[in-house]
Amino acid sequence: MAEQLEVIRNERKQYIVVKIGNEQYGIDISYVDNIVRMQKITRVPKAQSYFKGVINLRGEVVPVMSLRTKMGLEADVFTNASRIIILKLEQQGLFGVIVDEVKEVVTLGAAEIEKSGQSVNGSGESFINGIGKNGEELISLLDINTIVDDRENV
Amino acid sequence: MDVSQYLEIFIDETAEHIQSLSDNIMELEREPDNEDTINEIFRAAHSLKGMAGTMGFKRMQHLTHDMENVFQEVRSGNVKVSSEMIDILFQCLDAIEGYLDAVKTTSDEGTEDNEAIIAALNRFLAVEENKEQKEDVAAKDHAKTGKVYEKKYLDIAFSENEKKALREAEEAGQNIYGLTVYVQKECLLKAARAFLVFKAVEELGQILVYSPSSQDIEDERFDQEFSFYLASESDYDAVRRAVVHVSEIETVVGEQLKYGAIEEHVRKTEAAAPIAQSEAPAAVSPKSEPATRDAKQPAAKGKTANKPVTNRTVRVDIEKLDALMNQVSELIIAKNSLVSISAADNGGSQNQTFHEQIEYLERITTNLHESVMKVRMVPIESVVNKFPRMIRDLARKLNKKMELYMTGEDTELDRTVVDQIGDPLQHLLRNSADHGLESAQLRAKRGKPETGTIRLNAFQEGNNVIIEVSDDGNGIDTESVKAKAIDRGLVSPEQAEKLSQKEIIDFLFMPSFSMAKKITDVSGRGVGLDVVKSNIETLGGDVEVKSKLGEGTTFIVRLPLTLAIIQALMVEIRDEKYAIALGSIQNIEDIPVKDIKYVQAEEVIHLRGMVIPLIRLDQILDIEPKEEEPESLTVVIVKKGDKFAGLVVDNLMGQQEIVIKSLGKYINNNNKLISGATILGDGEVALILDVNTLM
Repeated sequence: MAEQLEVIRNERKQYIVVKIGNEQYGIDISYVDNIVRMQKITRVPKAQSYFKGVINLRGEVVPVMSLRTKMGLEADVFTNASRIIILKLEQQGLFGVIVDEVKEVVTLGAAEIEKSGQSVNGSGESFINGIGKNGEELISLLDINTIVDDRENV
Repeated sequence: MDVSQYLEIFIDETAEHIQSLSDNIMELEREPDNEDTINEIFRAAHSLKGMAGTMGFKRMQHLTHDMENVFQEVRSGNVKVSSEMIDILFQCLDAIEGYLDAVKTTSDEGTEDNEAIIAALNRFLAVEENKEQKEDVAAKDHAKTGKVYEKKYLDIAFSENEKKALREAEEAGQNIYGLTVYVQKECLLKAARAFLVFKAVEELGQILVYSPSSQDIEDERFDQEFSFYLASESDYDAVRRAVVHVSEIETVVGEQLKYGAIEEHVRKTEAAAPIAQSEAPAAVSPKSEPATRDAKQPAAKGKTANKPVTNRTVRVDIEKLDALMNQVSELIIAKNSLVSISAADNGGSQNQTFHEQIEYLERITTNLHESVMKVRMVPIESVVNKFPRMIRDLARKLNKKMELYMTGEDTELDRTVVDQIGDPLQHLLRNSADHGLESAQLRAKRGKPETGTIRLNAFQEGNNVIIEVSDDGNGIDTESVKAKAIDRGLVSPEQAEKLSQKEIIDFLFMPSFSMAKKITDVSGRGVGLDVVKSNIETLGGDVEVKSKLGEGTTFIVRLPLTLAIIQALMVEIRDEKYAIALGSIQNIEDIPVKDIKYVQAEEVIHLRGMVIPLIRLDQILDIEPKEEEPESLTVVIVKKGDKFAGLVVDNLMGQQEIVIKSLGKYINNNNKLISGATILGDGEVALILDVNTLM
């Protein structure tokens, strides 16, 4: 696995730990452009259901997706702790994902990551490429590239 | 020799000459005896040769030289223009264009010798042409004009420093030469020539005085001659030879001078007549030069008078303009937020001046945007110019008679759009030539003129530019398109029966749906209209087809005037805000609900003699319906070509200048209802409705 090899090579990576529902997810910090508070999201008609719409990020129009909808969980409830994590992919530019809460930044080495290609949510799709162990806690590591992969429409 | 700084000029001017050659050769084909055209071609070929030579592109020089030779013969009446000759000439042009492309990408002409073309060219030459003959003609030309080569260097007014330099050089035992170099009239890179002359003589000595100043010479601010004083140890003949050796130099006049004699001459002219004095500085300052020259040589008037114009334009990299446009966009967003603060403060205590200043700012930003936009606009001429030639080639290849008529070549569009519109248009024209027009026999049978007509009309309509490509050919056979669609399994036969004319024609825009019965190398490979459509849609435009079987087909390409900023009407539907481009709005009406009529179960309104379909935006945009229908509806009447539709909205929020932002690649926007987004004054994002796809 290319990712796996990369992890071994780079030894230790930093992850932002976020909460969605009861689970903790880790997002590779190298993809993260910014974390912003919840703001008004403009709905885009006829867009994919998991895209909540677009926001204004310092003068740029950035699409925002709901990981909950994408993963088949119940709808988002926005609270004071809700955040939009702005991610950047080399090719396609910026997009945001909504999370319930941002907890901390952890550093994980290859030894603390267990490779996982298995579906966790049971829907047959996996957005996770590994499980990180941070002390007692388990963190599902999100595979950013599969999140934006548009399988729903194929 | 470093000529790289002239490379850009070379590329631009070569492209211009190729275009002018192409136009003139077409003209020549029509009127083989038109002397003006022949001369024009000769001049263009000659200039091309000269420029290629200067830049050291030997192969290109060789080819253009032989072209020039052929025209020399045509001009003197030894050779008649034939259709084979025209073909070869077009091949030459293609070859030159090939060189130019190579130069553009690699700064080198490449290694293609094009010997076949050169050999073909030489076959036209009845007599092997030689250099003397040509120079003969050149000399005759000069004799005709009766030009006198003046010793302009005597008129130079020296500064104290220059006098000192001259004196010192003479005291050091060097010879002083005054020289005036005349550049050929057709010479294009005059500054480059001057540069070469200076380079050549500087190997022999040192230039002490320039007239005009060396800066002016470098910037090409001189007419046909320039003068200089040289201090050198070589004899006059060596200097003269060095100068004449540079190509495109008409002649050089000069002599060895003693400093005393120079000073004497200057004193004499100064003392003799005050009028003469005005002549002396004239040589130095290019501004007053035309006036004095006019008096002396009325014949040269036209040339001198339009000289300064070239210096008023500036070449700007398109990227810099993009950056400028982006900043203007940012400014407009910032302005919009100020405007919304000002509006929110309406009843407040803010003083009058604040609001006035905001209004002033609005005016400035709007003007600024318009100016930047205008700078980016270029006529579509540069793109459509190559089409007559293409149609000519197609006519020969397809063995059909056809004529292309173009109007509105001066219609302007954003540079980015113009750069990308060439391929789609070319495709539509090929399509008309190949599929549209019938063979001559069939045309005769149908009682149409033997020569088919293809038209390209461009014009502006509101915020759009329309380009129509039409032919008087066969038209689209909707029945056979339908059959093919059924054949392909795209629709069932039952469905097909219900399809409208337009829906059937839309099949043609589907990927790999080719109607060509046999594949030619002109078209019919199934990569075609779908690419045209997607190309035009990426530019924010759309394509429409009108066709009548047996009478012809018209493709209507609609393009936005600008890509970045538009005037828009902001509307509200429930709590969502949308922008509608002002350019497509006809008017706004309040329609009582009881006036809504039904035609084929669709809602329509009857307005001033027109039946206009109603579009309920809330339904189309998946917005929750209102609990109760109000008594009257606010309807925005929009227009696309000659079609109208009424968009039902809840509220009008007013007109605003908006900056178009893309929605990005992530969000699916398959039906293209939304053409983009914009950021409002309060920082909120509003979507822009694409009226053209709604209708």
